[in-house]
Amino acid sequence: MFLTAEQVLDGAPYATVLTVDFFDTLITRKVAQPTHVFALMEQLLVAEHDRQWAGFAVKRVQAEHEARVIAASGNPLRDITIDEVYLSFAQSHGLSMSERTMLIALEKKTELDNVLPVVFGRELVEAARSRDMSVVIVSDNYMPSDHIVNMAHAAGYSWVLPSDVFVSCEHGGLKHNGELWNVVITSRSLNPATTLHVGDDRIADDVIPTSYGIATHVRDVMRRSHRVMGNTSPGVLPLSRIEAAYRDDYANSEWPTAEVVGGGAVALVVASQIVDVMSVLRERPVASVHFVARDGFLAHQVWEKLRASSVDLPPAQYTALSRSVIWRSRIENVSEEVAHRLVGDDETLTVDRLSRRVGCELESESAVLAQLSCEEARALLMANGSRIVAASGALRERLLAYVGSQGMLDPGHHLLVDLGWTGSTIADMNELVTKATNGASTLEGRLFGMYWDAVPHRQRVSLHGYATNEFCGTDDNVRLLGCQSLFESFITAPHGSVVGFSESAQPEFVNTECEVMAYDHIGKRVAGAAVSSAFALLTHQHRSGVSANDLSSTVAWATMMQFGHTPRCDEVDVVDSISHVTTIDHEGLGESLIAPMPSAHVMHSELSEVYDALLHKRWVQGTLARWESDSSHRWIPDELRKMNPMFQPQWVQIP
Amino acid sequence: MACKRSGVQFPSAPPLENAVSSRVKATVAAVTVVMRTFERPVMLARAIASVLNQTFSDWELVVVNNGGNPAPVDAAVAVGRQANLSANIRVLHLNDRFGMEEASNRALAGCQSEFFVIHDDDDSWREAFLQRTVEVARANSSAAAVVSGVTKIQETYRGGKVWPVAYENFYLDEGRLTYRGMIGNNTFPPIAALFRTRLLSEVGMFDASLPVLGDWEFNLRAVNAGGFVFLNERLANYHTRTVDSDRAAGNSITIGEDLHRDVKLRLQDRWLAEPTSNGVNKGVLSISAQALLDIDEVRRKGVHVNVAAPPDGEYIAHRTAEIIALRRPLRRIARSLRHPAHGARAVKRLMRRVLGK
Repeated sequence: MFLTAEQVLDGAPYATVLTVDFFDTLITRKVAQPTHVFALMEQLLVAEHDRQWAGFAVKRVQAEHEARVIAASGNPLRDITIDEVYLSFAQSHGLSMSERTMLIALEKKTELDNVLPVVFGRELVEAARSRDMSVVIVSDNYMPSDHIVNMAHAAGYSWVLPSDVFVSCEHGGLKHNGELWNVVITSRSLNPATTLHVGDDRIADDVIPTSYGIATHVRDVMRRSHRVMGNTSPGVLPLSRIEAAYRDDYANSEWPTAEVVGGGAVALVVASQIVDVMSVLRERPVASVHFVARDGFLAHQVWEKLRASSVDLPPAQYTALSRSVIWRSRIENVSEEVAHRLVGDDETLTVDRLSRRVGCELESESAVLAQLSCEEARALLMANGSRIVAASGALRERLLAYVGSQGMLDPGHHLLVDLGWTGSTIADMNELVTKATNGASTLEGRLFGMYWDAVPHRQRVSLHGYATNEFCGTDDNVRLLGCQSLFESFITAPHGSVVGFSESAQPEFVNTECEVMAYDHIGKRVAGAAVSSAFALLTHQHRSGVSANDLSSTVAWATMMQFGHTPRCDEVDVVDSISHVTTIDHEGLGESLIAPMPSAHVMHSELSEVYDALLHKRWVQGTLARWESDSSHRWIPDELRKMNPMFQPQWVQIP
Repeated sequence: MACKRSGVQFPSAPPLENAVSSRVKATVAAVTVVMRTFERPVMLARAIASVLNQTFSDWELVVVNNGGNPAPVDAAVAVGRQANLSANIRVLHLNDRFGMEEASNRALAGCQSEFFVIHDDDDSWREAFLQRTVEVARANSSAAAVVSGVTKIQETYRGGKVWPVAYENFYLDEGRLTYRGMIGNNTFPPIAALFRTRLLSEVGMFDASLPVLGDWEFNLRAVNAGGFVFLNERLANYHTRTVDSDRAAGNSITIGEDLHRDVKLRLQDRWLAEPTSNGVNKGVLSISAQALLDIDEVRRKGVHVNVAAPPDGEYIAHRTAEIIALRRPLRRIARSLRHPAHGARAVKRLMRRVLGK
């Protein structure tokens, strides 16, 4: 596993001086990455000083970047100061001197309020001090040394004195370019041969000090919760705080990606589904609540757990519906359009599979196991039109019997909870139910995410998107499209999709091998962590301190984007083995969420086809991240992002 | 009672008992949202959802079906009511198709709310629109209206489906919400503005004789009754259709540019005919301001065209004089026909001047 603090020191027995990095080595924050501190500031500023401060966090990141550009144009070796950052901010956004002063003070206070010691760092300096080694803090940062001292004291390092701190913004050079090392070695008269340095950066804390003859140890585990730094806004904070809790819990062991995904992003989505339903129940009478298979499985599990723990909630059903089964139950004639929908252009099917797909035995001159081209298959369907229509009618009867047994045909208004995205399934179901009950029963879709295609469906059924709806921007709609298959693969049930109903009106599921394997390999762990974490969130017992009160549509969208749009490498790796089945009968091998790398010789003119294929079948953002990691393919995601800028990592809009 | 502004009479708000109401309300909502629609049910459903999604809940929605098929309108409203059982929505089916402003006036007849908004059936709001504009309006009690920032959304509508293709920031600032800022051009779409209802009795209702630009004409009367406050948050979405959209889905500006231009000229003509107030003629001001706005627009967009600075003012003055000069003989002839005695006196004056020379 990882070396203990004692083992690290034992590795350099001759060392009499320990130089140690500060941020993410000695201290960390209660959020997953440094820029989320600005999101905490924005939350406070908006709450206390109005919405003019909305967007502060992302502007603060931008101001720092601009200050660095200006500083580098004068002296590329030196680091910037906090004053320069806020000077740049003030110039860009027209702030007064008093506002600048206020913001600097607020940033320092926020850092102090959220500082935590890193366990390994604390053990390291304690062990070093007990061995009579002198300890020196060497940090690349824009904060002055007195603030570093204050942060160290707040984290419990009460022995730290200003003379123990060397910070880049005060000495005209950085660890990264070696200038700060020159200062440290000279002013402390260090002998590099008897110095050990510990930090978290491969260049600044390893390559550069090694070149001076200093022994080094790199421990970068505290960076495992980092995502793209520029994306910061109050919406990111709940997931950030949960992931920070995981980071601290697993600081000395392997990063449990499945548990972090389940207990973090997936749990927040599931808890949001329940918060949304609870908000409706508070407002108006509802005849019944249905968590729709399979996206509603985890939320239903949490709902039942809440009821079992005496939370006052009405009973809710887990209702097995799928887009294909509802659509098949509404076929009134087998036109060319229907045949095209039943057989995809890239499919070859046996008569046997085609029969299963339409739920009736097809009359054919071909052998049952003979492969039919898509044209032949469609012709066969059209020749068997009356049988298919009869099968559709029978399926409709059984479907209505099933939902009737679940109370959906009882007079009144029923909620259907689904992940998303267009609401077509719910709109179709609404028409069936309304017709069967002469309008006595009506449905409403409570979706987690919804995009522009939902507009025509809204005309037939009331729909509500929690994280996003059709009013969100084009770029966000496309981002949602890019990662929806990811969420469908993780927020799912242990069983396959429903493809029909038995004579006794029980749902019949089909289990595909790839989905079963994916669930066993990763889905089970994600689901377990998600249910327990969502339950803790909703009962205000989550160890991160995040609770249902922190959930909102903004948070839900930010959660989707943090995981779905800016995944970490470990998250892409864990998704690598997952395939998504999109065929209408839910059979077949499915498509892997991460697309295989195209030939490195792919032509630029072919990139639009590559993009279309990704957008319709894969997790776009995960695939781009994977391709980016391969130097011979990096140009492909670069070009695709230039052509489709919404897939650039920055998803928090700069106001 | 009638209000007289700018030489044209506008009906003031009729008393409540004359108002058309399909349902008796126990209390008066803070905001009346007027939504005019004609045969665009998919967009109407979206527009209703935009109102239902508001975080501010003290509103009533008046859907004015401007002579279209009632069934799809009722269906869209039913879906909206289903989504929010406490939603205060009433529908006004007009038997014939009237002008947009007449439709607004009918919906606002007897309006007792503190504020009103014109929400076109193809536009939408961010969910905080009403909450923020009402907050700002209440904090600025003398303001006639609050106008929020606007995002312009270009979308394609075909075969009952609509999808956005581009977003742009609609340029708006405080200067464009002053009388001088607005006189040259319509500077913001109706979806962005929350008006105080008192305006309807103070400056009159919308000018029903105008097929388009009635909002602009109303804004110019309203801005003198307290000023407009700019809320610099992009809370309103102004939707326009791309050229490849179904024609029925086009908004009034993109499919009726000629009509807009004609109506604008008519309005400017009307103002040119009005008496000068404090040495300023509204028509002259409008023409000159329009030219300045056009130049500003070109400069703001960074398009390098030859717009040498001095000629604009000079050109405007010259062009205005031309227009007025052209109009003067025509006006005299018309007045002579209406009042022969005036005509005779004018001819006598002319003769004396010529003979005197």
